[in-house]
Amino acid sequence: MRAFNAELSKLFSLPGIWLAFLIGAFAPAVITALDSIVQKEEIIAGVSTRLSEVGYIGLALGVQGVIILGVLAVSSEYLTESSESGGGAQITTSLTAVASRLHFLLAKAGAVTVISILLCIVAIMTTVSTTYLILGEYTPAFEWSRLIGAVCYWTFTALLALGITLLTKNGIIPLAVLMINSSVVSFSVLLYKVTKLALYLPDRAGLEMFMFTSDTPFTGSLFDRFHNPFTGGLIMFTWVVVIFIIAAIVFHRRDVAA
Amino acid sequence: MLTMNNLVKHRGNQEILSGISFRARPGRVTGFLGPNGAGKSSTLRILLGLDRATSGSALINGKTFAELHNPLATVGAALDGFGAHRMRTGRAHLRWIARAAGLSNSRVEEVLKIVGLTNAADKRVGKYSLGMGRRLGMAAALLGDPKILILDEPVNGLDPEGIRWIRTFLRERAQSGNTVLLSSHLMGELAETVDDVVIIKHGTIVADGTLEEVIGNHSTLEKAFFALTSEHAGEVV
Repeated sequence: MRAFNAELSKLFSLPGIWLAFLIGAFAPAVITALDSIVQKEEIIAGVSTRLSEVGYIGLALGVQGVIILGVLAVSSEYLTESSESGGGAQITTSLTAVASRLHFLLAKAGAVTVISILLCIVAIMTTVSTTYLILGEYTPAFEWSRLIGAVCYWTFTALLALGITLLTKNGIIPLAVLMINSSVVSFSVLLYKVTKLALYLPDRAGLEMFMFTSDTPFTGSLFDRFHNPFTGGLIMFTWVVVIFIIAAIVFHRRDVAA
Repeated sequence: MLTMNNLVKHRGNQEILSGISFRARPGRVTGFLGPNGAGKSSTLRILLGLDRATSGSALINGKTFAELHNPLATVGAALDGFGAHRMRTGRAHLRWIARAAGLSNSRVEEVLKIVGLTNAADKRVGKYSLGMGRRLGMAAALLGDPKILILDEPVNGLDPEGIRWIRTFLRERAQSGNTVLLSSHLMGELAETVDDVVIIKHGTIVADGTLEEVIGNHSTLEKAFFALTSEHAGEVV
């Protein structure tokens, strides 16, 4: 519990984290606002084909905030000080304050999980409010099960970011890859052109927890439902567990000086 | 009590430590001396559980570091650099460490005062001078009021006043029964601070004893050190 408190204290005192909070809390609302404005006429006319995605699209694309959170939680430990100051890093202090590396890691993952959940709840509030503000009475009802799915998606994404950064020790590569993947070019979309296995990648499978809810049978389009929400969540969670175990083993064996 | 038992460390094909054994006893300041790259930092890192020994053991009161229940209350350490994220303030840095040890924020203010950083506590660590960073490292080591202190080059970067402060402070710690192990390559400073001396060269211990024993027939610790560690030992006196 002490290690967990320490991790929370670390995260809240890091200026970069406020950027993660800002993006996490408002990016989904902004994306939703733009999407709703574009679709408003079709929705009012009752011809929108993407009615079920209103609002959720913001939560799917606005996951960047927790990616920054997960990456920074680890990369800040390894950020090297200037050579003038001896070139140390915070990780030495962290590991002399908490004797067990596993405890340290669980505390960090716990802190990231709690903050991700809270951040996603804030994002849901801003997103739902924005949708009501723009679409008024035409706003489709938000289902609890799908909103919980979005919270899980955010949390798992943050934990994946944390696990991957633990392996790379440096935040730049995971940050670039994960942010581009979740916004501009999705790796699973590209891979899907080659193989259907892409539907089992964590981001694509995880999205099924709250996206692609149309009941039409699977036609081969990447945007059709392939897994049910529970299976999708389970697949993503398995990815999280596997990457976390690999990262924990590597971290446990690694010399801090290496 | 700190006990090193036949520590061996390989990194790649290199043997960094080749079976070193020594002790640091309570009530004494033990100086760990050696040229750069001799293996001082590696030894301290293994002792603190940061690096793994290839074989042998490094024990703190008979336990490995990983077995310590509340490490900060047992052993305080200040290694190379500041050990802090440059974007955090000094006070925020000490506060998260205090959380990890279950200590209050008032303890943070106490150690800030002890090391003389109270006025700079709200500055970001990235803006600290080398001396201030070292003081911050000392503050972190002292937070849990541990009976054992492990310091890597503690006087590096300190101004004369800081060096005198460290010297007096460490002497007082030892006199009240605590164990202090410090590494350094500054002989003059060390001779006035330590009770016991361990000298390491190329990963092997070449001298281990009280200050008087190690100085032996030489006139100063510095001369003894060079006689023991010079590549042409015996020629340079």
